[in-house]
Amino acid sequence: MYNNKRLMLSIFWIVLGAVLIALSVMEKLDSSTYSAMGGVLIAIGALQTIRNLRYRRDTEYRKKIDTEVNDERNRFLSMKSWSWTGYIVVLVEGIGVVVAMIAGQQTLQHILAYSVCLIVVVYWITYLILSRKY
Amino acid sequence: MKNRIEEMRSSRGIRQDELAAELGVSRQTISSLENGRYNPSIMLAHRIAEYFGMTIEEIFIFGEE
Repeated sequence: MYNNKRLMLSIFWIVLGAVLIALSVMEKLDSSTYSAMGGVLIAIGALQTIRNLRYRRDTEYRKKIDTEVNDERNRFLSMKSWSWTGYIVVLVEGIGVVVAMIAGQQTLQHILAYSVCLIVVVYWITYLILSRKY
Repeated sequence: MKNRIEEMRSSRGIRQDELAAELGVSRQTISSLENGRYNPSIMLAHRIAEYFGMTIEEIFIFGEE
């Protein structure tokens, strides 16, 4: 599961976080949001690096992670969750379009409506690709 | 779909985590299979049947929900 690409990505997050904090300290970026973002990126990068190194060294941990990742029920649950998430997002955005229309928020209404359209188009494209594959 | 996994496992004195480790799945998957909450893929059903030295039809009772 954890390979060199993932390790490089983890290091990239740490470097990017450090750069953001450095730029904030040097006042090149005038927002505390960037330093906070930098801190979060360093934390994520460090956590991923630790997990990656543990995966390489600890056989039991590697076995546990591999089982979790390859477990077919976990994959099924993940797919089902994404499916439900998609339905809920479309439903909430659809309701949002109606609410925005009633409230006279035309910009919000358009953004939500376009978002629903985008999701439907992406669904249609992925369905087409998957139907050719399977 | 009903199955006889728990019956087979208990009769052999195997724990859920031991069976899970043998099949390369999580203990929760074994639990869900035994409770009938999750139906396995044909590959996993085959591995389970092979593990118990039985056929898929002997372990999984098709047509019953």
